Amino acid sequence: MNGASPAAQQEVTLLELVDRVLNKGVVLTGDVTLSVADVDLVYVGLRVLLASVGTLEQLESSPQ
Amino acid sequence: MTAPARPPGQAESGSGWYVYGVVPATETPEGLFDGVDGVGGGTVRLITAGQLAAIATDVPLAEFGEAAIAENLRDPAWLERGVRAHEAVLQAALAALPVVPFRFGTIYRGEDHVREMLSEQERLTDALDRVRGRVELGVKGFLSPVALESEPSGEEDAMSAGRRYLVEKQRDRQLADEREALKARWAEESHRRLAAVAEGATANPVQSREISGRDEEMFLNGAYLVATEREPQFRAVLAELGRELGASGALYELTGPWPPYNFVEDPA
Repeated sequence: MNGASPAAQQEVTLLELVDRVLNKGVVLTGDVTLSVADVDLVYVGLRVLLASVGTLEQLESSPQ
Repeated sequence: MTAPARPPGQAESGSGWYVYGVVPATETPEGLFDGVDGVGGGTVRLITAGQLAAIATDVPLAEFGEAAIAENLRDPAWLERGVRAHEAVLQAALAALPVVPFRFGTIYRGEDHVREMLSEQERLTDALDRVRGRVELGVKGFLSPVALESEPSGEEDAMSAGRRYLVEKQRDRQLADEREALKARWAEESHRRLAAVAEGATANPVQSREISGRDEEMFLNGAYLVATEREPQFRAVLAELGRELGASGALYELTGPWPPYNFVEDPA
């Protein structure tokens, strides 16, 4: 997808961020801490989101 | 510090301190976070204990309590605002001094709890020393779809349809094996040469095409801790790889500098 739409590129950048901000960094047990299950859910949500962006693009770019 | 039990569905009241990361207390310049919005739109300030300072924002527990945050994470708009604010605050710190980033969503109920955390965590001081004068750079390597595309040999024309199907099937399988071998070789070589000019290196799992949002297959998802003065050298090695392996269909993408997210957890 070399001609990815700006919207799609933004999602990828968000994913790049999520990959670091939610997955890496020092993990401490604060009074409130995200559980691994919560973080996994984020990924499931993002995958659905990204998959639907991809599908939309294919639909838009496919010749009629 | 256990939260009092509360009936499900009822939002917590009060506020807590969202902590982004830790910096050396004595080196923080005035006005470091001027004009930078924290998570939830709050102000960013420092909470100090001894040599360390936590970068923190006062947040309402109705939004950032345990149940609320788990719920809010499912809202892509909320998540995006949150992670972008987290990153922006850390970037502001990174511009001026060494910083040890925390994972998103680390919250303490009171300032005293934050200070307690700072004084108990000797590893935070060690981590600060480790990342001082260094930045994290990300390098992704992609295999262009045109690499290794086979030319029909021309013999197929003379074959029966069934025979041709089998030959093509076999060639596809062989090609897939070659691509996997090529990706493994490139990943190893790229990572080795980049790691040689870095103070730390980690190869993270590659992302699927669905996640990366690209047609090319990813063969490298590396993070490198690079001394500031060696950054030009690191970029030169990457450019060299791009020229050498680029001729065969490798593409590289550089991101960063990042706060050293990949290099602050317990070193081996």
